[in-house]
Amino acid sequence: MEKIIEILFNGLSMGAIYALMALGFVLIFKSTGVINFAQGELAMVGAFICYSFATMMNVPYIYAFFIALIGGLILGAVVYQVFFRTMVGEPLFSTIMVTVGLASILTCLAGLIWGHDVYSLNSPFTDKVIHLDKITFAQGSISTIIVSIVLFVIVILFFNRSLLGISMRGSAEDPDTAGLMGINVKKIHMVAWALGGLVAAVAGMFLAEQSFVRLAMSNVGLKAMAAAILGGMESISGAIVGGIIIGVVEGLAANYLSGMSLGNFHMGDIKDVAAFVIMIIVLMIRPHGIFGKEKVERV
Amino acid sequence: MLKVTNLETTYNDIILSLKGISLEVPPAKIVALLGANGSGKTTTLNTISGIRKTIDLAVEDGVIEFEGQVINEKEPYRIVSMGISQVPEGRRIFAELTVEENIMIGSYVLADRKKFPLSLETVFGYFPILKERRRQLAGYLSGGEQQMLAIARALIADPRLIMLDEPSLGIAPLVVKEIFEIVSTINKERGVAILLVEQNANVALSIAHYGYILENGRIVMEGSSEVLRENKDIKEFYLGLTDVGTKKSFRDVKHYKRRKRWLS
Repeated sequence: MEKIIEILFNGLSMGAIYALMALGFVLIFKSTGVINFAQGELAMVGAFICYSFATMMNVPYIYAFFIALIGGLILGAVVYQVFFRTMVGEPLFSTIMVTVGLASILTCLAGLIWGHDVYSLNSPFTDKVIHLDKITFAQGSISTIIVSIVLFVIVILFFNRSLLGISMRGSAEDPDTAGLMGINVKKIHMVAWALGGLVAAVAGMFLAEQSFVRLAMSNVGLKAMAAAILGGMESISGAIVGGIIIGVVEGLAANYLSGMSLGNFHMGDIKDVAAFVIMIIVLMIRPHGIFGKEKVERV
Repeated sequence: MLKVTNLETTYNDIILSLKGISLEVPPAKIVALLGANGSGKTTTLNTISGIRKTIDLAVEDGVIEFEGQVINEKEPYRIVSMGISQVPEGRRIFAELTVEENIMIGSYVLADRKKFPLSLETVFGYFPILKERRRQLAGYLSGGEQQMLAIARALIADPRLIMLDEPSLGIAPLVVKEIFEIVSTINKERGVAILLVEQNANVALSIAHYGYILENGRIVMEGSSEVLRENKDIKEFYLGLTDVGTKKSFRDVKHYKRRKRWLS
């Protein structure tokens, strides 16, 4: 019993990270129609920025956290200005290829700046745990979950209450009409990319806290994309639910399935497969994702 | 106020759509732009409001002036902030947002945000039905209500000129009448100039002060609405009446043979 609670809890904290990354996908896809394959790389750069300040320069962790957060924001906006300002409305394939190229460029640049080693990020929560009865909670996981919840609430309020957020939803639905309402759609797109960069940086830092800072951590982007697609790609709540499902399933698979063997065949590291198996099953039942909508058009 | 001179536009760099039209909207007046399908009415509005890039529309010649400023090359959002709001053809409301959120988006250009709740009440004053439905998703409104919402969304920005693109499209005649009455009231009470694009000449001329007839990208006739209403050709081709003022009979098989006099 204690074990399952611990597994679920750790799964939840991984799920929160996936959900944050998926949120980045959804934000960018929904407002600009670009599927950003460089989301994982944005997260990786965010983690490296935090690492540079917190560990290399000994800035207090909380400041480093916010610096990386702003770094992610600026990076997202710059990426939009440089690569996508003129690409909006172009065919999906070319924009996707641009993001794939961008992913390599970011990896290269990060490799040049920070090197190809594996680093560890020391946060105030590293290796600290809380015991509750017989159950052990890692403080890092707790902070991940709390900050993610706060961030989700802010994002949801932003999109439902603020004029800018509502305008972003409107521009996503019909950019031409949004222009007629006096909305500068290009600015809206830049805000979406900036927010996407911000949530990616947060996800990257939490991920680094739970494992390491390294170039290969951008692989998490692919799993987060599975989470976003699972949730329906257009819905914020879908991204959250999709992320949590993938995180929890992964945790369960890692604990219960990894050690199994069938004769000479060992399951090995099955947790990376589990996420995609779930995604495929859900998509077979609901092709538009859990929260995705089939487009209903009034004629 | 709005002055268009010799406007010539092309689609895809090759299809000449407007062939040099000139029109003027004086302050606080309703001007109707009438014409059949494909005569260039919506093209005129889109050219003025600046949505050209996505539909591959380009201005080849001519000048669009608003209150003395040339606005040929301005982006749509700048034109809105100058005081021109467009109610697009087919309403184009944001179906996934609520009624109130739709109107909020319309207020995006308001420099003075404190004015917003005040003007929201004013707008609801003209369209009480929208107030009842303010929390509903706009996609679930009826066609007439959606049209009202589209007008309300334009009105909230406190424009000096509203361009209405076929507000009667696909709406029941009774509701059309109601909408046109509201438009007329808005024009009178708020002194907003209105450029009204319509196929329904009858109802448009009933509220307009002045009218232009557009055909094949050219303005073939203009005049005050009284003069237009009395014109023989307009009576026949746009209002569906014969000389005597009675409804045209389709037994009269030769009706299509008479050429419009303005087409040479």
